[in-house]
Amino acid sequence: MKNYKSGKYIVFSVIGLMIFTAGLVLIKSMPDTQDIMRVLPYLCIGIGAGIFGQNLGEVLKNIAVKNNPEVAKQMVVEANDERNLTISNKAKAKAYDLMLMVFSALMLTFALMQVNMYLILAFVAAYLFIVFSQIYYLNKYQKEM
Amino acid sequence: MCIGGDHLKNRLEELRKLNGIKQEELALALEVSRQTIGSLENGRYNPSILLAYKIARFFNLSIEDIFIYEEE
Repeated sequence: MKNYKSGKYIVFSVIGLMIFTAGLVLIKSMPDTQDIMRVLPYLCIGIGAGIFGQNLGEVLKNIAVKNNPEVAKQMVVEANDERNLTISNKAKAKAYDLMLMVFSALMLTFALMQVNMYLILAFVAAYLFIVFSQIYYLNKYQKEM
Repeated sequence: MCIGGDHLKNRLEELRKLNGIKQEELALALEVSRQTIGSLENGRYNPSILLAYKIARFFNLSIEDIFIYEEE
């Protein structure tokens, strides 16, 4: 039976809220900044909001299912249902194929636009990381199955 | 799912109604979603061997009695 305790999610929600607040404070207290300090407040707001939202969602979900074992069981069944898993994996595979095409088109576009070389190299590195990850997992599952 | 024209039919709906069971009740017993039972019954989805075995055991029949494989 899954444990629906919310302790760590509450802690992470608070941390997310603090980072979000820090971002807001930085915007107000340092209006004229340059370089990384210009971006840092907005980065804090984005990351803080993301952490806060995700963990608050988990807390609310746990509260909702804690007194409803039937609902909790149904959620587990839906998550592990083989048809749902098959659909999810097929959708991910299609999205991955599309992502490779989009990445390729983006890299070509950036190269033709003569964007900063390091940015293009970062893109290429990310693309290659994903492709090699696929090769790694193909190899791994060939041996396991 | 058909591969090379082969088909897998099943008697799941027939057996379920014969035993007076609703889709929701069968889904609960097999620990799958109701949508999976629906998709199995109308042939849109073929079960894994594990699920086919669970279904056969539920109805006290063999897999071949429930799932009929037709070669093209």
